[in-house]
Order: sequence, then C-alpha cells, then structure tokens
Amino acid sequence: MQISLQTYRPIILKFQSLIALLLLCITIGVLSDKFFTVANGWNVLRQISVNICISVGMTLVVLTAGIDLSVGSVLALSGAIAAGLLRNGIELPANNLYIGFTVFGAIVAGILTGSLLGWFNGWAITRFKLPPFVATLAMLTIARGLTMLWTEGFPITGLGDSFTFLGTGWFLGIPLPVWISGGIVLVTVLLMDQTRFGRYVYAIGGSESAARLSGVNINRIKIGVYTLAGALAAVGGLLVTSRLDSAQPNAGTSYELDSIAAVVIGGTSLSGGRGSILGTVQGAVIIGVLNNGLVLLNVSPFWQQVVKGIVILLAVIIDKSSAKGE
Amino acid sequence: MNKPGLKYGALLLLLAVVVYHSVYFKKLDEVKAKGARTQFDAAAYADAFWKTKLLPATTKATDLNTLIQALKTDKDQAFAAHSNAMSIGNIRYFLVKGQGKITAVRDQEVTVSLTNGPDIIVATEYIFGNAARDASGLISLTEFTNTMDLNNVSAEINQIIRKRVVAPFKTSVKTGMEVEFTGAIELNRAHLHTEAIEVIPISIRSVGT
Repeated sequence: MQISLQTYRPIILKFQSLIALLLLCITIGVLSDKFFTVANGWNVLRQISVNICISVGMTLVVLTAGIDLSVGSVLALSGAIAAGLLRNGIELPANNLYIGFTVFGAIVAGILTGSLLGWFNGWAITRFKLPPFVATLAMLTIARGLTMLWTEGFPITGLGDSFTFLGTGWFLGIPLPVWISGGIVLVTVLLMDQTRFGRYVYAIGGSESAARLSGVNINRIKIGVYTLAGALAAVGGLLVTSRLDSAQPNAGTSYELDSIAAVVIGGTSLSGGRGSILGTVQGAVIIGVLNNGLVLLNVSPFWQQVVKGIVILLAVIIDKSSAKGE
Repeated sequence: MNKPGLKYGALLLLLAVVVYHSVYFKKLDEVKAKGARTQFDAAAYADAFWKTKLLPATTKATDLNTLIQALKTDKDQAFAAHSNAMSIGNIRYFLVKGQGKITAVRDQEVTVSLTNGPDIIVATEYIFGNAARDASGLISLTEFTNTMDLNNVSAEINQIIRKRVVAPFKTSVKTGMEVEFTGAIELNRAHLHTEAIEVIPISIRSVGT
C-alpha cells in the first residue's frame, strides 16, 4: 500500500490548528521545564480567557466580512465604568442623592457600556455605509479618550473581594474566568449552529447581496453582531479589571490585534462567510501558549512581537493556500 | 392579557428585578461624611512616618563607603543585609549615611566627594520615586487597602523632603562645603552601577568650617 502526504492532506488541513498547537506545546515543553506544570497551565488558561471573550465577538464580526478595531478600547472603558460606579457611585448634589452600585449592578453597567458602544459601531456602519475598519477605528480613539476622561488618567483601585473574585476566584477546581469564557464559547457555538441568527451571519459574510435578496435584514443582523462583540469585549474588560483589582486607563491596548490573530489562526476567513468559534478558540490558545512560551524562554519582548507577527502571517498564507486547494 | 402585553410585562418585571439588585440610594451628605471619616490621609501618614519612624531609623543607616565596598566584595550578601523593597524584582533600596566635601553644585544636584571614598550625587531638585518610603523597610504593604494610597504616601514623603530638607539646604550650599547626610538610594541588583549613586537626602547639614 502506498502512503503519500497527499493521502493525509485533507486530515492535515482539517486539523491544522490543532497540529500547530501540539507542535508548539512539544517545542516549548522541550525547551522549558516550567511549561508542562499545573500552575503554568492554569496561568495560560486564565490569560487566554480574556482573549477568548474578545475573539469570539471578533469572529462573529469577521464572519460578516467586517472587522472591529475598537474592542481593546471598549474593554478598557467598560472595565473603568464598572470600577468607577462600584467605587464612587453617582452623586447628585442638587437632590442630595447618592446612587451606589452593587457588584452585580457594576457588572451590568459594564456590559451595557460595551453593548452600547458595539451597537453604535453597528449603527454607524449600516446607517452611513461606513467601512467597518474606519468606523471601529474611530471608536477605538473615542472609547480610549472617554476612558481617560472617566478615570482622569489614574487607575481606579480597591474594588473589593466580591468583585475581584470574578477574575481571581476558583469554582470546582477551575479558575472562574475559564468557566466564564467556556460558557461564552458554548452559548455562541449554539447561537451560530442552532439559530437563524447564526445562519444569517454566515450568509451575510458569504454574499451580502444574495442574503439581502433572500430577505435577510442585513442591518439588523450586523448591528446585533457588533453589539454582541461590544458586550463580549466588556466581559473581557470586567475580567481584566477584577483580576488586577484595578481599572487601568490603558488596559486592553493592542488587544484587538491578539483577537484578530486568534480569529485568523483559527481559520476564519477575513473576507467573511467561513470559519468557526471553536477554530477561534484554538487560535486564542495558540496565541496564549506562544505568548507564555516566549516569556518562559526569556525571549526579548521586542522579538516576541516579531515572532507573533510571523506566526500570523504564516497562518494567513496557509489558510489562503488551503482555500485554493479546496 | 394578549401575547405582546405578556412579553412586555415580563421584560419590565425582569428590568425591575435587575435594577433592584443593581443600585441603592443614600443621602449624599451622609455618604460624604462617612467618606471623610474613612478616607486615607496620605499627608498625615507621611508626616507621622517621617517624624516617628524614618528620622529615628537614620541613626542605624549604613555608611555609604562601607556599603560600596561591601557591594564590590559580595553583592548578594550586601543586598541581603542592607536593602529593603516592597515589591519583588531587582530594584532595592538602601538607607545610607555619609560625609564628604561638595565639589560641584548644579541646578538639580550636588556632587559630594565622600571622605576616603568615591564621588556621589545628592539630588536637590527632582525628588521622586519610592526610595525614601521603602529604604527603611518600616512600611508594610499590608497597612494599605489599595496601591493608590501607598503611592500617595511616597509622593507626600518626597514633598516633605523638598520642603524640609532640600529647600533650606539649597539656600546655603556652595562648593567646598563639608557636609554630613543621611538618605535613601536605589540600586538594581541585576545591573549594579556603584559609580553613579544618587542619594535622595533625608537630612543634610554643613559640618566644620
């Protein structure tokens, strides 16, 4: 029996992200004795939880052939709003009234902030036919500026044990952020595979005009997708804020690049219509393991950026050539 | 009730439950009064620390000449015996004392040639960082509920140094003056440079003629 590489090509293509992850883990594991330890495993999972939250939202956006560059800034503003309301509440001197926020209230306010900013992105893109790149780039600077205004450029700290439990706590032996990101992945997979909304998202990315002719309300779906991406960035912001017990004005800077990288490495096409949430999760794990490995191997932070860039480039090249093959 | 009515009713009920569990209301003046009582006063803390802990601790400061020699002989031992720091990492702080002659006076600093030792710098303009706060090792991280308060203590101690130490010294400083000083220095354990030591003064006075 003759066995050639061609025989295994479909399998390799199907599991290319997993194979890449496996090779990466083995390489780092051989070079660093600290990699395959339980503590490091939890550390990596905690770190990628935030990127998974953002990347899941980014996947939905990219599936509609869009892009959201504002997620890092939205993350920062949502975290800062939640932290600010929890710590300082709202003062209404004219009425001699103080409105305090519970931890639950601060979380709701943070998620609403992210959703609102995401909704605005979607509305601007659909209402004025703006390219998503431009609309979300504008939101990137708007949200960052609002974060600076809200925090006055200083971190908001001392948020209390109940709030920090969200980012540092454990449940059934697993870090809480891992449960949260896992829950988000599960719900989104169901949303994309089992609902009309999911099918419409793929349809819009595949061919917007065909979807429109089929009666899909394009604007509504797109606004929904960007709103969801904003809400998930906000969840990421809450995790970061609670983990640090502090809302940092510059939190989330360049997080959009890590999330786009996770989406692309996970096999989602930047031209839309093709990809999956689970692929993105694999992409986020690869990025997380790569970040962790480069730190463990004591690689200079400057070289880390170069290596990550090359990995993203390779992922896109492989994705393009496999798409051609199909 | 019809179907849309039920839907909106349920939504309204859900919203009410969310709001009920999200916010609470109080009188603003009561909250402010309580806040004023519980708010951390960094200036008062720094003043008390300066008078009751830091100034007394300078009597036990390490002689700078001796420290420089110890660092050259056995760096790790010298760091272990004489340095303090609140955080992990290579930046450590030392409480030091010394005596020498001022050989140069500039806007931001003076150069002091230590008696039987090398030249060092005493800062007289840019008093920043955590050296003065951390060098004595007498402030514990557990005393603070947040890092902002801790940072404010540093800022207030540096302010005390500017007003009570540096300002009077600058009015009389001149080249050739013999001085005695205590202060705090910051050194990097991984990248040690003993040839460029800068002292944040805690006390400095003219001695002799």
